[in-house]
Amino acid sequence: MVNLEDLKMEAKRILDEGRVKYIIGYQRGTNGVMSVPAFIKKPEDVEKLIWDPTCIYNLTRFLVDEKRRKARQKEPDQRPVGIIAKGCDTRAIVVLLQEEFIKREDVFVFGISCENTGVLDEKKIAEKVQGKKVKKVEFGENKNFIITTENGSIDVSAKEVLAERCLECKANYPVIGDISFGEKVASGLTQPFLSLEKMESLSGEERWRFWEQQFNKCIRCYACRSVCPMCYCEECVVDTINFAVTADTSAEEKAQKIKWVEKSPVTSENFIYHLVRAMHLAGRCIDCGECERVCPVEIPLRFLNKKLEKEAKELFDYDVGFDPEKPSLVSCFKDEDPEDFIR
Amino acid sequence: MEKILTKQSFPQWVKKLKSYNVYAPVKNDKDNHWNYETIDMNDPNVLDSNYLNTVLSPKKIIFPQREVFLEFGSQNEEGYDIKATLPDEELSVFFGVRPCDARAVALMDKVFSGDFEDVYYWKRRKSTTLVGLACNTPPSQNCFCLSVEGSPFSKEGLDILLVDLGDRYFVDSLTEKGDQLINVAKEIFKEPGEKDKSAVKKAQLDSEKEINRQIKDIKEIPLKLKEMFDSSFWDEESLSCIRCGICTYLCPTCHCFDISDEVIATSPLKGKRVRTWDNCQFPDFTMHSSGHNPRPDKASRLRQRTLHKFQYFVEKYNHFMCTGCSRCVSKCPVGIDIIDVLNKVNHYE
Amino acid sequence: MAEEFEPKIVAFLCKWCSSAGSDLAGVSRMKYPPNVVPITVMCSGSVSPLYILSAFKEGADGVLVSGCHPGDCHYIKGNYYARRRIALVKKLLEYIGLEPQRFQMSWVSAAEGKKYTQIIEDFVNQLKPLGSQTKLRRNV
Repeated sequence: MVNLEDLKMEAKRILDEGRVKYIIGYQRGTNGVMSVPAFIKKPEDVEKLIWDPTCIYNLTRFLVDEKRRKARQKEPDQRPVGIIAKGCDTRAIVVLLQEEFIKREDVFVFGISCENTGVLDEKKIAEKVQGKKVKKVEFGENKNFIITTENGSIDVSAKEVLAERCLECKANYPVIGDISFGEKVASGLTQPFLSLEKMESLSGEERWRFWEQQFNKCIRCYACRSVCPMCYCEECVVDTINFAVTADTSAEEKAQKIKWVEKSPVTSENFIYHLVRAMHLAGRCIDCGECERVCPVEIPLRFLNKKLEKEAKELFDYDVGFDPEKPSLVSCFKDEDPEDFIR
Repeated sequence: MEKILTKQSFPQWVKKLKSYNVYAPVKNDKDNHWNYETIDMNDPNVLDSNYLNTVLSPKKIIFPQREVFLEFGSQNEEGYDIKATLPDEELSVFFGVRPCDARAVALMDKVFSGDFEDVYYWKRRKSTTLVGLACNTPPSQNCFCLSVEGSPFSKEGLDILLVDLGDRYFVDSLTEKGDQLINVAKEIFKEPGEKDKSAVKKAQLDSEKEINRQIKDIKEIPLKLKEMFDSSFWDEESLSCIRCGICTYLCPTCHCFDISDEVIATSPLKGKRVRTWDNCQFPDFTMHSSGHNPRPDKASRLRQRTLHKFQYFVEKYNHFMCTGCSRCVSKCPVGIDIIDVLNKVNHYE
Repeated sequence: MAEEFEPKIVAFLCKWCSSAGSDLAGVSRMKYPPNVVPITVMCSGSVSPLYILSAFKEGADGVLVSGCHPGDCHYIKGNYYARRRIALVKKLLEYIGLEPQRFQMSWVSAAEGKKYTQIIEDFVNQLKPLGSQTKLRRNV
């Protein structure tokens, strides 16, 4: 079991020594039982840190924010940022390192192991407690969660309320870490892409109807893009404004920015946005599941990105987010790459 | 007028509304959320007992996310051929509108009238009848309508308010449109008795007690916010914001929009000018064509949203631009809580 | 008599090999169906998924990407990157339910004018029974 006091102690020590600017972690939220991101600057504030199954966020996103903040400052503080990262989150950090978006010395990783359980799915918990208000959820000793409501505590097997992505976890222990907490437990994952099988067994027409129905719901709030740590481009394909605009940019240059996608949330435009995003995430998406979690209209985006993760593995034997030295999927090639589809 | 309608007779009323587009909250079997859609008139289950609130308020249809203003083209050298595409005035009815969403429509009405009446908005609005459903229990644990001068039984903005009394609805018609809707099937409505009226009063008192969350001293807030424009408070509060835009798109009162041209063909020229929702939390919302952006960071954008709703709108219309539906609180991916932010504002030195 | 459906194909041809190959077919007066809109790109490796999706959005019934044979790329490695990237695009389009015959890739060298005509002929014959592409076509 991960000892929260050890985590707080180490965090306090690192802050006292001035080795990091601040630490990104999890703290209690103000509405409901879910945790929220915390930004701990002062050593005494480490008391706010928590670690329980409600710590579902992928905090790597805030490393992107930090880089943007530094870029705006005249004399930025060059110390690293501390981050509390679960196994899956460390894979996201590895991808950012692979692409040299951040340098290894810019981040101080407090790796935490989920010890073969994981984090919860809010809907499954709500179903489990049948509408009662949940006050607390804690890790149990035996792959279980202890849920406390106004009526008392109940013991639930973690598997019943885990987030879907935790059931296909590839990294239950931090892949990189300056300090790591928790034990390394064998994952027991035999079929990493099981959730895709049902989708792949449908016919082309059935799949089309499924995705058409899903993308008709999309309101293009771009929450999926905003929450993804890998979507760090200042200028996105869907934005009609070129961020590299300065006072010297001519009107012609501005007019010639190609509008690939209209702003209207209609089916064809929604398809293009999501398909291009999936392509841009090929070999980079580590299935943290945040895009699906934040979607206000419940589009199952994991099924889209996961397909390309599977193809990366099956066609090119590429594992995403384990080795910071490895080049990214589409910037390398092998002589043996399949070409049976090419005439 | 006040009437009683048994739940058994309710589907008969709906069946008689053939001249209207009938919208009600619908839940797809795979999803966990409700959305307004046109319904099957023969479906008896128009107002499901499990219904809480929709993800998108009636704003989705009265002020649609995409509205075509005009179509343009150039067939000959003599110039452009421009045709306005006003929405047709088909009658619509919305069932199941929560009082907070209806108050939000009333607030949007203020914005789109005044010095400039928005023709597109009003053509839809005038042909829309809103039938509300009072909240016997708050749809969300974060509801705070009482703090912003609202109520789970508020009638503002509605044409009819329905109160669920178990086996029957108390039907309170508030406008001419509401009366017209009832008269379509007046034979199935009954007169209410004293018992019914006191049941409604009791339901209202019980419901108001269940609203947990509260913004304290809200009357002080506009002035407090004015003083805090330059404070570093906003930097702290917006640290975890990921500028996703969910709070704004889901908000029933947010109404900022963008106008763009969608060109279908270039020779001959053919295209449409459309209005789409825009979002002050997107980084390019205030981007000038010179490249300067007066709101370049999350702090200024969070500040903008808060001040627009709780200071600027109050100064202009003497009303908070928030009806306490709490969608932004429940759906924020990182737990930024406007109730908490405002309570902190009150204590801020 | 009803008009037979004529599919529209957008072909992204690399300048140094495939586009030259299509020119050879033209100069040699080889007959092949006129259903192709050829777009010359510098290298098959420069073809972005956005071009392919835009072609489908504007109503293309089929899209072809064609480049130099492996080892012959004018830019040494471009076609290897294309091979990877287009494989992923193809899998993705099939996954969302677009008919797999609508998107194809080929290696056509500057001397293979005949091969180019055969590719187009076969492509058109495969697309005719499928009918018009409506799935990704723009609806604004």
